Order: sequence, then C-alpha cells, then structure tokens
Amino acid sequence: MKNLNRKTSIPSIIMQAIKIYPVIFVLIAFVVIFSSLYPQRFLTLLNLTAIIRQFVSLMLFAAGPSIVVVTGSLDLSYVGIWMLGGILVWLLQPFLGMYSILVIPILGLVTGFLIGIIHAKAKMPSFILTLSLLVIYSGLTATIAGGIPRTVKGYDFITADLIRGVPTPFLWAIPIIIAAIYIVKRTRMGIYLYSIGSNEEGAKLAGINVDRYKILAFTISGLFSGIGSVIIFQHHGGSVPVALNLNTVVYPLVAIVLGGTLLIGGSGGPHRTILGALTFTVLIRGLNISFLDPTMIQLIVGLLLIASIIASSRGVRGVTVT
Amino acid sequence: MVMAMNDTIMEIRGVSKTFDRVVHALDNVSISISKNEILGVVGENGAGKSTLMKILVGVYSPDSGEWYYKGERIPFPKNPKEAAKRGISIVYQEKGVIPSLKVYQFLFLGNEDKYVKLSKLNIDKLKKHAREILEEFHVKCNIENFMYELPLSTQKMVEIARAILSVRLEHEVDDVTSVIILDEPTAPLTIEERKDLFNELLHMKKNASFIFVSHIIPEVMEFTDRIHVLRDGKMIAHYDLSKERVTEEGLFKAIVGKESVEIISKPEITEALSEDVVLKVKNLTKKGSYYDISFELCKGECIGIFGPTGSGKSEIVNTIAGLLNFDEGALIVKGKEVKPNERPHVRLAKGIGYFSGETGKELFLNWSIAKNISIVNIRKVLRKFIPVFNFSAEKKMAERIVKQLSIKTPSVNAECYALSGGSKQKVSVGKWFERSPVILMLEDPTIGIDVGARNDIYDSTIEMKNRGIAMILISDDPKEYSLLCDKILFIKHGRIQKVINNEKFKQEMFE
Repeated sequence: MKNLNRKTSIPSIIMQAIKIYPVIFVLIAFVVIFSSLYPQRFLTLLNLTAIIRQFVSLMLFAAGPSIVVVTGSLDLSYVGIWMLGGILVWLLQPFLGMYSILVIPILGLVTGFLIGIIHAKAKMPSFILTLSLLVIYSGLTATIAGGIPRTVKGYDFITADLIRGVPTPFLWAIPIIIAAIYIVKRTRMGIYLYSIGSNEEGAKLAGINVDRYKILAFTISGLFSGIGSVIIFQHHGGSVPVALNLNTVVYPLVAIVLGGTLLIGGSGGPHRTILGALTFTVLIRGLNISFLDPTMIQLIVGLLLIASIIASSRGVRGVTVT
Repeated sequence: MVMAMNDTIMEIRGVSKTFDRVVHALDNVSISISKNEILGVVGENGAGKSTLMKILVGVYSPDSGEWYYKGERIPFPKNPKEAAKRGISIVYQEKGVIPSLKVYQFLFLGNEDKYVKLSKLNIDKLKKHAREILEEFHVKCNIENFMYELPLSTQKMVEIARAILSVRLEHEVDDVTSVIILDEPTAPLTIEERKDLFNELLHMKKNASFIFVSHIIPEVMEFTDRIHVLRDGKMIAHYDLSKERVTEEGLFKAIVGKESVEIISKPEITEALSEDVVLKVKNLTKKGSYYDISFELCKGECIGIFGPTGSGKSEIVNTIAGLLNFDEGALIVKGKEVKPNERPHVRLAKGIGYFSGETGKELFLNWSIAKNISIVNIRKVLRKFIPVFNFSAEKKMAERIVKQLSIKTPSVNAECYALSGGSKQKVSVGKWFERSPVILMLEDPTIGIDVGARNDIYDSTIEMKNRGIAMILISDDPKEYSLLCDKILFIKHGRIQKVINNEKFKQEMFE
C-alpha cells in the first residue's frame, strides 16, 4: 500500500520488509548471537517449542493493548483481568459448572468498558487508571483466593493437542491475532482509532464520536485480554498466581514498543506487535539458557524497553511506520 | 549590487540546498542585509523561504554557498547558538510563546545563566532588565503578567524583544546590531493587531535589522526597504523600494510567475438562489459571546459574518458546528430544531460540516492524502456487505480530489506533513468537497497560504456552492467575502449591525 513501484524480486522484498520493520534486524541478530553462543541448547526442538509457548502468552496479552495504544492511550489491565478472571472461575465453578470459564471474557469486556467510560468521560489518564485497576484486581484476587493459588480442573480440552507437535495455544492465538489486526487495519473503527491517536481535535472536527470510539477501543481490548486469558489460564494448568508479578505486566508492553508502535498513538498496531513479541521471546529464551542470573535478565529487559522507546520515538531514518 | 558595502552586516552568496538529493529547495540564492533596514523575503509556500531562514539560523546547513561577514568569508553557523553569536535570531510563525510563563521569565528563558549569583537567580536584576528592554522597544505590558494574558500582537513583540535580547546577551554588549528574522509574524494577527505590530517594528528598526518573511503583499510593500522574491528555490527578483517603484500587481506577478492574475475578478456567481431554507437561526444567544442572532440560510447560499476578532463571529460558527453550546434561541436545520449540547459528530450526521483553515487542526499529518480524504467519506470506501476497506476505491477518490484541486504531490499515498502549506489546506478542503454536506462552515479557509493555492480553493468552494451546499464564511480578508458571499452580516460586539448584499459590500469595502 505504501510504495507504488514496489519491485517483486526476492532481495528487494526483503529490503522493503526490513525498511518497514527494522526490528527484523534485531530478531535476526538475536537468533544468530544465541545460536552461535549456545549451538547445542538454543537451536533445539525443545527450545523452539518453549519460544512458541512464551510467544503465545505474550501475544495474547499484548493483542488488546496494541489496539488501545493506537489511540494514544495505554491499557495495563490485562494481567488484572487474567488474575481476577481465573480466581472467579474457581469461585463460580461450583455454581455454574463448566460455563464458569466464560466469566473471564465477560470480566474483560466489562472491565474494558468501565475503563473506557471513566477515561473518556472523566478525562482520567489511561495509564494511571488502568494501573490502579490492575492493583485493585490483584488485591481482589488475593482476597478471594485467601492468599493461596487455586487450581481449577476440567478445562483440559482448551489446550488438548489438535495437531501433533504444535502447541494448541498457538493455534488458538492465530485467529485472535488475525481478528485484532483485522479490526485496526480493515474496518472503519480502525481508521477512527488511528485518527484519534494522530490528531484528536481533527478527529472531532471530522465528525467522529471520539468518546464512543475510545470506549470501544478499551472494551475490545478488554475482550481480547479476556479471551486471551482463558487460553493462558489453561496454558498454566488452570491456575492463576495470586501475587502480582511485574514481569507479566511489563513484557507485553516491551513487545508492543519493540514492534515499533509509538506510545503517543496514531501508528503501529497489533501487526507490529507480532514481530516485537517474537523478538522479545527469542531474547528472553536466549538469556534464560545463558549463564546470566535471572535478576540480570530483568535489568536487560528494562534497558531494552527504554532503548526501544527512544528508538521508536526518535524514528529510525527511512523507516515508515504503518 | 549598488549598496554601500560598509553598511552591510552580513551577506550570503550562491546558497543551494537539496533535500534527499532530489528536491531543490534552494538554488544559488544570495542575500545581504544592512544596518537598520527591514528586508522583505516573499514567495509562495514551498518557494524556499523557510529553508533559507533555517540556513541563516543554523538549523540546516547548505550544500554549497558562501557567508561573508564584514567582507570576510566565514563558515555557516552550525546551530542557533552560533547564529546568535553572529547577531542572528529568529521569531517563528507560531508556537514560540510559552503561555504559562510570566513576561520576564519568558524574556530571559534560556539565558538565565547570566543572572545567576551562587546558583541563585537574581530575580530583581532580571525584572529590572526586563522593564528596561521592554521600555526601549515601546512594548507596553506588565512584566508580572502571564504571556497568555497579553494580546497576540504584544506577545509577538515580546518574542521579538526576546530575540534581540538573546543576541545582546550572547555578546554581552548593548550596541551589537542584531538581525531578527520574522517568519510570517502576522499570520495569527487581526488587521488592527498587524498595524500595531508594524508601528512598533518601525520603532525598533533604529536598534536592529529585520528580515521579514511573508506572502501578504501590501504589508511587505508598506514596511520593508528592500524586497527579495523567491520562486521554486530561485531568487527571481530584487526590488529596492527607495530607488524604484513597484506595484502590487507587479510584485504579485513576480511571486506567482503567472501573467493571468485574477484574484479579484472571479467569475460571478450567477446561479439563482433557491428558496429552500436549510438553516434557520432564531435569536441565538450565548452570553458573553453573541446576542440575538437571527438569519436564514438557503440551499446554495453563502452568508458571510463580517467583523473584527472578538466580535463573536467565530463563536457563532463554532456553535452551529457543535463545538460550543448556546444559551438561548433556536437552531433549525432542515425544519428540525437541534439541541444546544450536541457534539460535532451529531451535527455532521445532520449535514453540518466545519472547515477551519488553521494549520494542522483538521489534518492527520502522519497519514497519506488518501486516508485524510476518506476519514469524512468513510461510507464511500467501505465495501457494501462487510464493512471492510476498499483501498482501490479510496485511491480513486483521492486521485479525483488531487486532480480537482490540483494538489502538488507525487502520489495520493504521500504523507501530509511533507506537503506545502497550501497543499495541506487543499487536502482539508478536498475532503469536504467530496463529502458534500448540506451546510458547510468555513472559518478562515485560506489563512496562511499562498495566492495560487487560494485561487484553487476559491474555485472549488464556488463549485460546492453551485452544487447547492449552503455555506457560512468567516475570515479576516474582505476580498474573500466579496468573492464567495451572497449576503454579509456585519457583526459588532456580538450583535448584528446590518445585513447587506454582495454588491453593496464591494462598494463599501473597495471604493
């Protein structure tokens, strides 16, 4: 769509791709570095499956917020939805039976709608709003669970093998990611979300109901987080942690930013997050099998987040963010 | 050059600059500036004025060219700080003012280090100097005021004083001749404010030289000593107003490079007005802004609301567009009364569009032209059954608009921030042209753009009108009213003074 006289030879296609997604460079670099440092351990089937599994969790968490970031806001509530949703399943299963799993997507939807309403109508900054909500939800989770992680049985079918060798959560993630990309790239709502992130005043003047689309963005983000949480929930054996782990909050953010989506909004989106999540997972796996202490990994993640925010906000020369 | 060399403060020769090795922004340009003069640099948008100025203050470095200071060749400045050391400073068109600072704080912003005593700011000395400098330049304002409290023209003056001050502080002497570049200083000002600014500038001329960048011909003719004309990056003409006489027409021709200059003699709007009333305004009142406004707008009619800034004209238009509430009265669109607190998207659904010429207000700068046009025409680019984008339809629509308004761009996929000011405006007009609302509000539709782009915008506005779109225009330029409006409401202090037709308006204004 961007370039009219796009050449069709394979090298030029690769050049085009790298121009638009410079993170490919970083990804290739990571793969080369880790596979040459740890040839016996990095390029194994076991490790690749682990990469895919982590990638899926990351992507499912990041899909919804990627939509919100396009409007220039931030949604950190995903971990809260996952934790509270998981514990509500445990709480409600005696009454609702198998249907209690639906409480997670419903919770996501309601949470997103709530955030949207408060953000749009009370003009509360989304970062602080969703952060407070995250803290509230994790507190609620711990209270309901009584401080002990609870396990729910009976949802094995969600992650049961469909194709041998391919993690089922990965298969589930595909339609979810496609749906997220479809919403921002192909629908009217998508263009409206970009317009709000790009120039809110202009969006208003173009006759867009800005508040409504902001609420919609958060609601859809919440729904995506809810659906994703169902899979992640079972992925982790039908239980949720009762203490908030900062990494689960930060990692999806890093994936979004590393993918090249600007936090100020108006560009990027879920399609970019895929590459960001993949690159980041490769890094984390690589660091995990390295000699580094886990605490060192956190340090590197933090630095990476800062570096990628700087790189994306300054803009890499000759890069088009779409 | 006939000029006395000893008066020349600085001179640049043969400056060229290209962007991405393709676009020739400047091609072999030479200018010089002497003591106590105002040098005009005029040209259409995209002629290279801004690039030249940015080279002078060290924001860009040229590809080639020479810089002479008192006859001696020196390198170009590498950054604004170096330029200030040579006595050059710039006042940008907009966004130069920091509204939340007090006047004296703003005056010394970035130069506080000269007033520091043991890491503590010597506020008393700062304030004393601020008072002195404002007095010297005849700027009348209280230094304890916040910048946003000052009228726009005074804000501009404070900015200019600040520019001169920064040059002086850099040299730590008072008698250095500073060259202050004024980039379209009058763009945000009303007619009265412009006059104030110019009177002050003539005072200041005793202490500094100015490079005055503009495209408003009468202003340039009245207040400058010499004029350079830039077109497509080349220096086309040079006039020394003390030695030769130049007509407005002649200067205009030099700027646009066309022989046919038809700005005032547009084809008359001959179409008979229909009697369909699309908008009825009855005793509309918003306390503090306007009172008892009543008029009727018919299909294909254009009404102008004429009055100085602050008369309430912009508030009326904003109210009709749904950007402001009203207190009393009624707004009746196509026979149905509308509620006061409706927002713009509701009004647009009822057929009221709003176009503002203010730069960047409507445009999504990081988007392609095509997307910017489809944003208000989204129904036309969605497929029928599933609401999915039809990118080829979007492209076709954009290409039609680009052709219709003769927007200069390599492709409809070009991003809008790269366009010139005039082309940006045309994209905004184009989207409404395609949308064809029942009623369109036009607020300063051609503000800050060049004559060529203006003409294209007038053409398409008249075509919209002929298609039956009703319009309400507010502007600072009386010519615009005489070109587009059937009826003009004179407004003063928020009340309608009189209503006259186009013929009479022309008589009153231009004869």
